[in-house]
Amino acid sequence: MPDLIDGSENITVHGIFNWILLLAIFSIITVIGNYIGYKHPITDSLIGMFILSLLTLAGVWMERYLPFNISSIIYISVMGIILAFPGMPTSEFVSYYVSKIELLSIVTVFLAYVGIGMGKSWNEFKALGLRAIIVTVLVIASTYLGAAVVAHIVLVMTGVPV
Amino acid sequence: MGEDIITDKNNPTNEIQHIYREKTDKRILKKNPWKDYGLHFTVLVLVIIAELIGPIKIPITSGVEVSIMPLLYTMVLGLVFYLAKPIKWIQRKQSRVAEGAMMLFIGILIAKLAVSSGQSMHLLFEMGPALLLQELGHLATILIALPVALLLGFKREAIGMTNSIGREPEVAVVVDKYGFNSPESRGIFALFIVGTIIGTVFISFLTSISVSLIPFHPYAFAMASGVGSASMNAASLGPTLAAFPGLETQIEAFAGFSNLLSFSIGIYIVIFLALPLTEKLYYFLEPKIGRKAIVEEKEGE
Repeated sequence: MPDLIDGSENITVHGIFNWILLLAIFSIITVIGNYIGYKHPITDSLIGMFILSLLTLAGVWMERYLPFNISSIIYISVMGIILAFPGMPTSEFVSYYVSKIELLSIVTVFLAYVGIGMGKSWNEFKALGLRAIIVTVLVIASTYLGAAVVAHIVLVMTGVPV
Repeated sequence: MGEDIITDKNNPTNEIQHIYREKTDKRILKKNPWKDYGLHFTVLVLVIIAELIGPIKIPITSGVEVSIMPLLYTMVLGLVFYLAKPIKWIQRKQSRVAEGAMMLFIGILIAKLAVSSGQSMHLLFEMGPALLLQELGHLATILIALPVALLLGFKREAIGMTNSIGREPEVAVVVDKYGFNSPESRGIFALFIVGTIIGTVFISFLTSISVSLIPFHPYAFAMASGVGSASMNAASLGPTLAAFPGLETQIEAFAGFSNLLSFSIGIYIVIFLALPLTEKLYYFLEPKIGRKAIVEEKEGE
């Protein structure tokens, strides 16, 4: 893996510039998909993606610069929940514009990158074959039935009538 | 060869995260990834095609239909573009850039889910304990699927495959924790791909059988229908609504919120409960019932 050998890079302004440009590219593609698939107005979607990009940028920046070993997922989640929490002054603004971005629009773009990125591992996926199908079926069945069993028990115990 | 250290059993998590983070940084910070116009333009074209086609619904029998979402087209087409020989502008280099970029874009997905969770906080209190506690029922997969995965010869892939139902948020969590090229991520990618293709059909059949065989509370089935993706939720709702006429509104409300919970609160259950539990059970069971590895540990790429 030759590109790992040079180990002296530091994250510079230039590096953060790369993050920003990538997020901008992702936002534009998502907004276009969001418009074609769900007809959400482009301006609202752009503001929504701008908010999400800012949260992401802040999260990955904090993961790398703050002296705690905390994943960016946690930083981003906490900031997002706080900003959208009813009663916060930001809540209405953030919730309105972010709701203009369908989760499925984001996932559609995201999975295009995932598809290209996972191309390198295709042969390993093929090796997983039938066994993977058996495990997947078991995972879905036990998750579904597990949820149903617990929900049923709690509903009966709390006396929710049918 | 960063992956060598990933297999170090004594100190897995912190090292991995550190290595993977540096690797992502190298990839996306050094190579000016935005300059890969071919890659991003290809993604844009894939997204436009996918959204123009929209979801396709294929009826199998009455009440059972397979829906194929645009997100499946872009993922499969992305993979096809990489594998197709004539497409010269999507090669290994683009695949690596896409991988690095994807690690950043997980943030967008998480941010969207976080905003939805924040908004719906008050509903959590209204909807009562059943909705929250049924999330714990998802852990059943670890007890049932993990031993089977080990018996089938999976190694650390099993941790990724059996900790949860393996939809987008869980994939994000596992990739973030173990790194893109780890066995755990390969496991959850396999689960994700197989689940995307057969999950919708399967859960629809499973629900039809369950509602006719098991005398559970209708709301319990409604909540259970939200365990997976949005398309799985819809597929599971069909037979549930048909089995309990007159309760449509309530069943839809519970199903929708349960799905929202799976996508928001669900990831925290995976981070703090499911993954640690899966690892514990893995290290307990693997020496006892583990088989010879079917996927060789690979060095680097």
